[in-house]
Amino acid sequence: MAAAAAGGRSEEGALIAMIADEDTITGFLLAGVGHKDFRRKTNFLVVDSKTSTRTIEDTFKEFTSREDIAIVLISQFVANMIRFAIDSYRKPVPAILEIPSKEHPYDPSQDSILSRVKHLFQADTGSAVRF
Amino acid sequence: MSSGGGGARLNVVPTVTVLAVIKARLIGATKGHQLLKKKSDALTMQFRSILKKIVQTKEQMGETMRASAFALTEAKYSAGENIKHVVFENVDQAVLKVRTKQDNVAGVKLPRFEQFSEPGEGKNDLTGLARGGQQIQLCRGAFVKSVELLVELASLQTSFLTLDEAIKTTNRRVNALENVVKPKLENTIQYIKGELDELEREEFFRLKKVQGNKKKQLQRQLAEAAAAVAVAVAAEAGKSAADGANHVADPYRFGGQQEAEEDGDIMF
Amino acid sequence: MYGFEAMTFNVKDGYLEAMVRGYRSGLLTAADYNNLCQCETLEDIKLHLSGTDYGSFLANEPSPLRTSTIVEKCTQKLVDEFNHLRCQATEPLSTFLDYITYGHMIDNVVLIVTGTLHERDVQDLLDKCHPLGMFDSMATLAVAQNMRELYRLVLVDTPLAPYFSGCISSEDLDDMNIEIMRNTLYKAYLEDFYRFCQKLGGATAEIMCDLLAFEADRRAIDITINSIGTELSRDDRRKLYADFGLLYPYGHEELCACEDFDQVRSAMEKYHPFQAIFSKLSFGESQMLDKAFYEEEVKRLALSFEQQFHYSVFFAYVKLREQEVRNLMWISECVMQNQKSRIHDGIVITF
Repeated sequence: MAAAAAGGRSEEGALIAMIADEDTITGFLLAGVGHKDFRRKTNFLVVDSKTSTRTIEDTFKEFTSREDIAIVLISQFVANMIRFAIDSYRKPVPAILEIPSKEHPYDPSQDSILSRVKHLFQADTGSAVRF
Repeated sequence: MSSGGGGARLNVVPTVTVLAVIKARLIGATKGHQLLKKKSDALTMQFRSILKKIVQTKEQMGETMRASAFALTEAKYSAGENIKHVVFENVDQAVLKVRTKQDNVAGVKLPRFEQFSEPGEGKNDLTGLARGGQQIQLCRGAFVKSVELLVELASLQTSFLTLDEAIKTTNRRVNALENVVKPKLENTIQYIKGELDELEREEFFRLKKVQGNKKKQLQRQLAEAAAAVAVAVAAEAGKSAADGANHVADPYRFGGQQEAEEDGDIMF
Repeated sequence: MYGFEAMTFNVKDGYLEAMVRGYRSGLLTAADYNNLCQCETLEDIKLHLSGTDYGSFLANEPSPLRTSTIVEKCTQKLVDEFNHLRCQATEPLSTFLDYITYGHMIDNVVLIVTGTLHERDVQDLLDKCHPLGMFDSMATLAVAQNMRELYRLVLVDTPLAPYFSGCISSEDLDDMNIEIMRNTLYKAYLEDFYRFCQKLGGATAEIMCDLLAFEADRRAIDITINSIGTELSRDDRRKLYADFGLLYPYGHEELCACEDFDQVRSAMEKYHPFQAIFSKLSFGESQMLDKAFYEEEVKRLALSFEQQFHYSVFFAYVKLREQEVRNLMWISECVMQNQKSRIHDGIVITF
């Protein structure tokens, strides 16, 4: 299923979506990641103190179900607000990446994926005698 | 029946043909188990290298993002706080996009992201023309680098999830073969062998019985014959009749022995 | 009238000049900056600032503090003070103060123009505008659908109208790069401001023309450096240079021909004030140029307070405060991002 979806995307290139604070998004927009389609829908959401958790969650769900998005970047402090939604997300594409924001230095222990990685890594090294 | 009865087994008719079929299946299952085990090992190897890379890249990402954030601060310092509004208004078509490719590791398709730039000038080229343009370009460079790293990380992460799933499936298959299918087949073989042994023993016993019966019959006939001889001797009237009876009994006896020998050949 | 300002200046503008000099002594000093550099968190910065002229301006802000909040509040303080001055001013000082705001007004108009063309929400756009550059009819900008309409309906009534009509034909409006438009307008604005100051005469003209000339030269150099390697042609580049200043006209010719940073450098080393600036930079390095310019500008602005009875102090004060806001932004960003080793790279100390 993932392979089929990925095949559909690869033709003209897929987008990188963002949910983060204003400064981080400004930077990525400068890099040329930003996109506005013909309905003026953007591929980013600026989160400030006025943004509700509901909006974030809805946007997250929208981004993860959009066909033209391959990667969703999400600031870690935003990810913490909708941790349940991220933890229950299981699809490989689009990939969810938690990124640090300048006000919140990166904390690996909070990362959904990294905590799984660390967990496996420890379990692995524990039973890795046979290698 | 003590050996074949324990554990689950297939519901089959215990015959020699079926035994051959089941044996073939067991060989197949053993081969499959070996192969899957190898696949699982290959995937696990890949998985571990990806795990290591993810941890490294995530840590590296922290650094890169920090540098990028600071580059943005420098740009804002030179070009003014308002620069972000300009950038936001300039958003149009994405210049930096990702392409998905596939890698193949032991038959598992791993999606891989690759970033590329759409041809054409970025709209932000002239931003900050009169002040801070240099810093803005530097900042852009820093963030492009971040995107590169993030795209790489996304590939790793997706591979991680896919591999995780694939390894689980493979291990499930390995375990199923090892703990369910193979014991079942082995049990079935044991069972068929047991049944066949049983049948053979029954047959042997039956033959023994037949032989015994025949012996008894023979003895009786001999006894009868002897009696007849005795009678003939006594009577001296039926001597020729007793000779004829001896001739009749002999071929029976030889034929019976031959049959028993043939049975043994089949059985052992 | 030259030389006799002292006789009449205080009649109308004495109070305001006194006020602006009072404000000037409220600017952060080197000692303040030293203290701020020692801060570990934004809360520390807030504490330190409450001991200065800023007072309790951050008192009602909820924790955690953000850099943008600090910058916003500092700017608000500047705007409040400026508006106070503007309300008390009479002609020709009031026009002079208006001229100071036109720079921000150009930025705002350009922002709104881009926003309207992309059909953004007007309220959002207005929130993003710089408060110093607001004008009355700003909210009505949304009615326009394209540039020509925008100009005919709205911009005609703003003080910027002559800049539009003077240098941008209506055919150009539709398909012009927004940055080129911004710089064309800014050039027209600088030239107009320059003429206005000359008309005022006296010490104002003397000092302001010098400051504006420096600004024009700085823009010319920056535009040159920043347009290297872009699609901006030499002629287009030439059109964005303001037609006055030390570099006009021969320096402009040289700048036009420059293709890389070192050429700009060798061209500019012939001009005394820029020689000093460029000599601070190592070869091939253009990163710290902005800061070098800021330092030079601040030095010139601070000097304008040495003379009395002229309007340049108002201009200098606004610019110095803007630099101060930039400094604070830099300090708080450095503190927040844990980049304290870089903290001294961005501070331009005024006094």
